[in-house]
Amino acid sequence: MTLEKKPAHSDATRRTVRRVLPPPVTGQEFVLIGVIAALWILLGIFTPAFLTPGSIQPLLVSVAPIALIGVGMTFIIITAGIDVSVGGAIMLCAVVTAKALVTTGVPLVGAIALSVALGLVLGLVNGTLIAYGRVHAIIITFGTANVFQFLALRVFGSSTVNGIPSTLEVFGRGEAGRTLGVPNSFALTVLAVAIAWWYLRHTAGGRHLFAIGGNAQAARLAGIKVQPRIVATYALTGALVGVAACFFIASGTSTLDQTIGSGRELAVIAAVVIGGTSILGGRGSVIGTLLGAILVATVTSGVTQIGWPSQLANLFVGVFIIIAVGTDLLRERARRKS
Amino acid sequence: MRAKRAMTVGAIALAATITVAGCTTRNDDSAGGSGGGEDDQITVAFVPKLQGIPYFEAMNAGGQAAAEELGIEWLYQGPTTADAAAQADIVRSFIQQDVDALIVAPNDPDSMAPLLKEAADKGIKVATSDTDAPNSVREVFVNQASAQGIGEALTDSLMNAMGGSGKYAIVSCGETAANLNAWIAVQEEYTASEYPDAEIVDIVYAGEDQAAATSMATDLMNANPDLTGLVGECTSSAPGVAQAVKDANKIGSVFTVGLGTPMSMAPYLEDGSSSASILWNVENLGYLTAWTGQQLAEGNEIAATNDVNSDMPAVEFDEGSKVLLLGPPLEITKDNVGDFDY
Repeated sequence: MTLEKKPAHSDATRRTVRRVLPPPVTGQEFVLIGVIAALWILLGIFTPAFLTPGSIQPLLVSVAPIALIGVGMTFIIITAGIDVSVGGAIMLCAVVTAKALVTTGVPLVGAIALSVALGLVLGLVNGTLIAYGRVHAIIITFGTANVFQFLALRVFGSSTVNGIPSTLEVFGRGEAGRTLGVPNSFALTVLAVAIAWWYLRHTAGGRHLFAIGGNAQAARLAGIKVQPRIVATYALTGALVGVAACFFIASGTSTLDQTIGSGRELAVIAAVVIGGTSILGGRGSVIGTLLGAILVATVTSGVTQIGWPSQLANLFVGVFIIIAVGTDLLRERARRKS
Repeated sequence: MRAKRAMTVGAIALAATITVAGCTTRNDDSAGGSGGGEDDQITVAFVPKLQGIPYFEAMNAGGQAAAEELGIEWLYQGPTTADAAAQADIVRSFIQQDVDALIVAPNDPDSMAPLLKEAADKGIKVATSDTDAPNSVREVFVNQASAQGIGEALTDSLMNAMGGSGKYAIVSCGETAANLNAWIAVQEEYTASEYPDAEIVDIVYAGEDQAAATSMATDLMNANPDLTGLVGECTSSAPGVAQAVKDANKIGSVFTVGLGTPMSMAPYLEDGSSSASILWNVENLGYLTAWTGQQLAEGNEIAATNDVNSDMPAVEFDEGSKVLLLGPPLEITKDNVGDFDY
């Protein structure tokens, strides 16, 4: 009897362990995949060329920087933080890198390294102020957003950066930006999403982020070093902004103007929220963020290709955000009731 | 409770971002904030739609040159995003400084009108330049080129490249920008009457966003496989549409023209992804703006034809509409693009 009971017991334990981990792909992600698939099929039917490489490739190029920063933003929002300074950080990284490309002709690796190093510093500033200053993330990053913008405008110096060389074209929309038909920037983004997915799901460090977002006090009492973890999420986002700034330069024109980065923080947050990450913290997924970014880009591109007025894209994205946040709040309420 | 807090945070987030986007202004070294105090020198303030872009910086350069030659003080300050509210704040501050003449390129002509009235009531001479506010008390509109002239020049340049026929689309910027919409109206009419074999298939609005303009141009080419022309209606979409054609490897099969500044268009004019850029002499426009401010402040009547300087010997003024016209538009191609440094 006892011998028979033992395996049954350990089986139950294993089942409990399994239940602690969420499923690899959540319900919301299946919904997103379904919506994106349905939209792509509909657009494929109703437009002459939506489902052709000439249309999908540029779409993925425009998804890449938003989803890449979205990976970092997902980490931040999981810890119940937020970063509204990424628009300003993109602007500063992009203008410094573009200036370096024009004036000193730095090579590809040098340009990326410069941009990432700068982004990392900006992220560390945010993270340190938030983790140790104990002021809400939105206030701190609102402040730093203005500072970053100011610095970027000083670097611009009342003119655009003209004649940017094609050093970064491996991340661009053109043929040099693709390997086997897949845009390099998008492939790198998918790689980052995969690593982040694994980290969040299968490492203690990743689970700690969820714990911090669920209840920072409890996480601290459980022995998690909350502050360094928070600094790390902002630093990661900063570094990813550095890479994304290179994507933005590459997919832009040969002129960089001061509208670069403007409003991108909202695009990133929209992708994260539509992807099912809870704005309350404690829940979220990077796969959802990637899907959210693809959905937004699909709607924007689809509206133009179908010939509808451009502003309808804003309406659809707005509705998606409200639906996503609404379902999240309802789910939260249901969970607390049960 | 938690949900409520989250919503509050969300609301703050939204408000904060909107403020970040809208209300940042920056001091320009060359035009400090010390206006209006002295009685001996006339102060002319110009508020562009957006500060820091080459177009308005070139106007500023022209205005500064005029200030030096004419012995007036030229103040130049604008918002860092093309935002009507941020621009209104700057206009208000110039009203408080009690400048002699206030000239605005309004982002939103309708919301600017009451502010111009406020200025005029305080005895400040008001005018518009680059973009008009027709339903306001402005005494003069300094017009870079007539809507007719620009619309026709854009259409002729594009048709010249497209061989007089085919389908084309327009990537415009602000959906409410009165001048862009006026040019588009001319393009539609002129294309229909002069080029019956050509057709405008779509008009889209990208805002002042290069990346959005490039994406939309790509989408338009995909949506209309037989498209052979694109127009970038403003300085951010002109290089944007050219870049889209270049990226899609369609140089020579899809032609673009646009209103782009010379330096930003040079690479595209050279590789053929842009056939021509229609513009005007922006520095002269800045000069003329400063000159107009001086005339108004001194209480001079503006004549039907004005000798402004050697570059602008006969600038015409229409008494009925109060429009001062810089002249016919300028076609910039790969042959003369090197002559400009903005």
